[in-house]
Amino acid sequence: MLLTCRLLTQFETVEPGQFVHVDTGPERTFRRPFSVAGVTPAGEVELLIELRGGGTRALAELPVGASLTMMGPLGRGFTLVDARAAGAPSRAAESDPRAAGAAPRAAGAAPRAAVVAGGIGVAGVRLLAQRLFESGVDTSLFVGARTADALLDATLPEPDAVRVATDDGSRGFHGTVCDLFTAESVDLPGNTTVYGCGPRAMLDALAVVAGERGMACELSLEEMMACGVGACRGCVVSTVDGYRTVCKDGPVFNASVLVPEGSAMEVAGG
Amino acid sequence: MVDLSITVAGLKLATPLMLASGTVGYGPEYDGLIDFTRVGAIVTKTVTPRPRAGNTPPRLAETRGGMLNSIGLENVGLDGFLSEKLAEAGRLPTLVIASVAGETPDEFASLCEAVGERGETAGLELNVSCPNVKRARRPLWADPDGVAAVVTAARRATDKPLFLKLSPNAADVRSVAEAGEAAGADALVVANTLPGMRIDVTTRAPMLGNRFGGLSGPALLPVNLALVWKLSDSVGIPIVGSGGIERTEDALEYMMAGASAFQVGTALFRSPSVVDQIVDGLAKHAVTDGINCLSGYTGAAKEVETPCQRTRAD
Repeated sequence: MLLTCRLLTQFETVEPGQFVHVDTGPERTFRRPFSVAGVTPAGEVELLIELRGGGTRALAELPVGASLTMMGPLGRGFTLVDARAAGAPSRAAESDPRAAGAAPRAAGAAPRAAVVAGGIGVAGVRLLAQRLFESGVDTSLFVGARTADALLDATLPEPDAVRVATDDGSRGFHGTVCDLFTAESVDLPGNTTVYGCGPRAMLDALAVVAGERGMACELSLEEMMACGVGACRGCVVSTVDGYRTVCKDGPVFNASVLVPEGSAMEVAGG
Repeated sequence: MVDLSITVAGLKLATPLMLASGTVGYGPEYDGLIDFTRVGAIVTKTVTPRPRAGNTPPRLAETRGGMLNSIGLENVGLDGFLSEKLAEAGRLPTLVIASVAGETPDEFASLCEAVGERGETAGLELNVSCPNVKRARRPLWADPDGVAAVVTAARRATDKPLFLKLSPNAADVRSVAEAGEAAGADALVVANTLPGMRIDVTTRAPMLGNRFGGLSGPALLPVNLALVWKLSDSVGIPIVGSGGIERTEDALEYMMAGASAFQVGTALFRSPSVVDQIVDGLAKHAVTDGINCLSGYTGAAKEVETPCQRTRAD
C-alpha cells in the first residue's frame, strides 16, 4: 500500500533511508516506523506499507483525507555515492577495514551503485534509487520477494531495469535476491557501493558477498522501536562498537560495523 | 491563571508532571519535541558506577494496554554521565533528578556523592527496583533492610533530596517504604514496572532476549494506584505516583489517591505532546474545581485535610 501524506510542517530535507514515526492510534503503545519511500514534487511524503498487524491495518483503513500524527525525518540515512567523484572511494569504503586493500578500484572510473531489496525492504531504498538515478549514478537494482505477487519492483523508478528474484520461482530468478545479486554482480567493479534493505538474514548474507567483492556496503535495519529518538535504548543492534540504536545511530549502518545476527561476536548481555 | 507549581521534597516543580527514568534518556533526546518548561523535573536514565551494555535484544514487546522492556540499565556509566550527559540535561529549562543504581550501599553512596555535588542535580532518585537486573539473593526491592542500608548510605553522601523508587513487586511494599522513610528518604516514587513476558507463538520463543521484562503503560495503572493509596496512609513523606499515566484524569487519580506529583513515561513513546495535554488538562480541571493550588488534589479521594482547600463557595 502506498500512503501519500501531505505535511502541515514540511520537512526541510529528507535523506534516503530516514524514517518517520507514525502514531497509529491509542490501541498501540508504540508508534510504527516507516521509511520515507518517496517525496513528491509538492513535498508530500510517500510511505510504502506492508500489512502486517494492527498498526498497519489501521493505516490501511484510514479514509482519504484522514489526519495522522508523525515525527520525522528521523535517523541516519544512506551515504550517496557521487557520480562526479571519479576514482574517489566512497566515504563508506574509507571507513571499511575489510574492504581496504581488497579488490583494486578502477582508477578514474565513476563510482557505481547496486541497490538490493527484499520484501517490503523496497520501501527503504525507493527514495535512494530515485536520488541515485537523478544524480546520474550508474545503478543496478535487485528486488526479491517470496512470490511474484509480493514483488514490489513496479514501485521503483525505472522498473524495467530491475532484476527480480522470487523464493518460489514464480517470476524472475528462482532464489533469494542475495543469490541473484551474487550471480549478477560478478562483473561489477570494486568501486560499486552496495545498498541493502530487507530481512536481517538477507542483509547479513549481502554483507558477506559485498565484503568478498571489496565493495562498500550500507544496510538499512528494522527493529521494534519505542521512542524513535535514541532515548529509550530499546531498538539496539550489535555492532563492533557495542549496542547501537536503530532509530538514532541507524537505521542505516555501514555493513562493516554490524555484527551478524546470531553470531558468537554478539555482545554479551549485561 | 492557576498556579501549577508544586513543592515536593523541598523542590519547587513548575508542574507536578515529571518524566520517568528510562523513557526520556538524558533529556536532550527530546529537545524540540517537549516543552520542558511545563515539566516539573526529568529523571535521567539510571546511571551505574561503570558503563553497562544492557541486555540482549530484542528489548521491547508491545502488550495490550502497555509494553514490556528489558533494557537492562544500559548507560554511559558515572564518568560519562558527569563529563557529558549531566551538563546537557542541566541546560534544559526544567529540574534534573538523577537516577542512580549501585550493587551495594557503598556504590549508591559514591554515586550520590559524585552526582549530588553537581549544580545541575536538583535531586537523586534511588533505583532499587529495576526488574531487569539479576541478583543472586532476594531482590533488593523486596528487602526492607537492604533498602534501608542503601538509603542510609545515600543520605550520608548528599544533602540533595532523595527520591526512593519502589517496586510494585514486593510482597510487603509497606515495610520497604517505611524502612526507606526511616532511613532518610525525602519522597517515594510509587512505583516501577511489574515483571512480565510474552511468547511469539510462531517461533515458540520469548519475545524478549532477556525473556522477562518490566510491564509499563495503562495496564499497570490500577496496581500502582492502589499502592499509592495504601502507602500514603503509612508514610509521612510525599509520594510521586507512576505507572500508566497517559491522560490528565490518570494523573488526577494518582493525586487523589495521595500522590503529590506524578511521573509520565511510556505515554511519551506514542506522543511526546502528552506533556502539554496533561498539563493543559490539569489547569482546566483546577479552574472547574475551584482549586487554586494543585496540592489540593493530593489525597482528595480520602477527604483528608490538605494545605490548599477548595476555594469555591459551594
